[in-house]
Amino acid sequence: MQLIERLAKSNYTNPGLALLIVLAFVPLFVSDQYILQLLISALMFGTLAMAFDFTVGFINVVNFSFAAFWGIGGYTSALLAAKLGVTPWLGIFAGFLISALLGLFVGLLTLRLHGIFAAVMAWFTGLALMSVITNWTSLTRGPLGLMSPMFFDTMDRQPYFYVILVMAAFSLVVLLAIANSKVGLFFRAIGQDEDAAKASGVNPVHYRVLNFTVSTAIAGLIGGFYAHFMGILTPSVMETSQTIEIMALAYVGGRGSVWGSLIAAMIFIPVLTYLQPLMELRLIIYGVVLIAVMIFYPGGISALYRSFFVVKKSD
Amino acid sequence: MISGPTLASLLVAAIVRAGLYTLSATGLSLIFGVMNVPNFAHGELYMIGAYIAVFTFSGLSLPPLVAILFAGIGGFVIGAIIEKSVFYPLRKRSERRKIWIMNTFLVTVGLSLLLKNLIQVIAGTKYRGIDSYWQGSLRITGISVSIDRLVGVAIAIIVVIIFWLFLQKTTMGKAIRAVAQNEVGAKVVGINLDTIHTLTFALSAMLASVAGASLLSLNPAYPTMGLMPLFSSWFVVILVGLGNIAAVPVGALIISLIETFAAYGFGSGWQRLFSLALIILILLFKPRGLFGSDVKGIWER
Repeated sequence: MQLIERLAKSNYTNPGLALLIVLAFVPLFVSDQYILQLLISALMFGTLAMAFDFTVGFINVVNFSFAAFWGIGGYTSALLAAKLGVTPWLGIFAGFLISALLGLFVGLLTLRLHGIFAAVMAWFTGLALMSVITNWTSLTRGPLGLMSPMFFDTMDRQPYFYVILVMAAFSLVVLLAIANSKVGLFFRAIGQDEDAAKASGVNPVHYRVLNFTVSTAIAGLIGGFYAHFMGILTPSVMETSQTIEIMALAYVGGRGSVWGSLIAAMIFIPVLTYLQPLMELRLIIYGVVLIAVMIFYPGGISALYRSFFVVKKSD
Repeated sequence: MISGPTLASLLVAAIVRAGLYTLSATGLSLIFGVMNVPNFAHGELYMIGAYIAVFTFSGLSLPPLVAILFAGIGGFVIGAIIEKSVFYPLRKRSERRKIWIMNTFLVTVGLSLLLKNLIQVIAGTKYRGIDSYWQGSLRITGISVSIDRLVGVAIAIIVVIIFWLFLQKTTMGKAIRAVAQNEVGAKVVGINLDTIHTLTFALSAMLASVAGASLLSLNPAYPTMGLMPLFSSWFVVILVGLGNIAAVPVGALIISLIETFAAYGFGSGWQRLFSLALIILILLFKPRGLFGSDVKGIWER
């Protein structure tokens, strides 16, 4: 009993981890490729949204260039594999590192800016990155698309499912560990009131840049997965509309929770992909849900969960 | 080097572009100045204008000026509806002004998705363009410019001037400027904030719509057409200072000169990279913009 109680009070117990554990058993019962494909999509976008939330929900900066890092990770890994024959299993880590480096750079660029100025700065940097990838056709083939070798030779979706599941679990655990540490506390302090944080001895420079680096590194890792899962990359993965889709999931999931984004993706991606023939309808739903959540329930899914289930910590 | 006639035609192209950038960027700057809403859906208001113009000009075969007028009125009405149904409830519900800017930004992102895809449901993804409103072309100093473009620029200049006079001379215009400077003060002297906010958003939507309508022969109407005017309006507004309406024409000229010459020198794919690089530098070293703005102390938030 004591163990259960301690678990219930622990910061790591949340529906996100529970969901991932349940998902690990799904392929034992489900062999339908279409359902696995839906789950892979949901996990991919869920992990991206978690990393996005790690920036917006903690240091309160909207990284409007987020999809660019997803794309850069993918392109790095795909180019290494296609031009130099590097195995995708190493390539994805190169994508992870390059995205982290660029994230560090964008973190430095947005350092002095707040609110809309930081968002716009990130947005424009992302557009510039996308512009380079689109126009550097001798390297990336631009809009024609870059062929990228697959992870596995099989058409079976099951191995891909486990790869992305491991990546999602890794991301969730790393993000939660940072969020629950002292560093996470500093992030929140900077997000709420940077001047007050500074006055208490928290150096915003280090922590804002660190936050960007971690978040974009995860985006790069997932980008590598995407490249070797789809087999083809076009610059459209870096478009602002992709950032918006990720952002909508993070907001609906609830800012500052990390796991809320994963749940939101698990609910929305399968339903919306099911509506894929009605592409416009899907995006209209996104639009309406985003507006409605922002106006009427800014806390999102995680606030809803907390208001029902969270064990009150005794003082 | 660039030869004389080429230079002249590049300059004319840049000026045409600047006129239309001014028209769409003014609305964006206005909304930010008065309501503190960084509008991501500005391009969609531009798109709505283009669709209304296609419908009235090709569909109902009305004269071009009537089509542009209808686009303006339509934009005004749709803008008012959006303000009343989205921003009004949001304003009533948000207690913390601090997070207002970012919240409204995300709401406009949602609006942009919504409007884009609603149009796609209604009108499909087909490009709906027109050849020209007015036939023929004029020869100015040896280069030929189509009348269509000249009228487009003329409309942009006239609308911006009328708008400027409206802000300076009329009571309503003065009330709008008062709200931009100090909301509490404006309230104290008896200005109805709700009316001003609705009016501002409607006017801004109208300016964007007129821009979309008068540029129809260059950019045909299609659901995602708003992205390019959105980028250029944001470039201009950030370059001169968010909320600084008076400096918008200058910024528009700078951006359009850069883009026109970069497109000529390096190919049109790269033109955006040059304006982006400039604006990233501006944000880095002079984030208040070239001319700054003192709109409600946004910088302090």
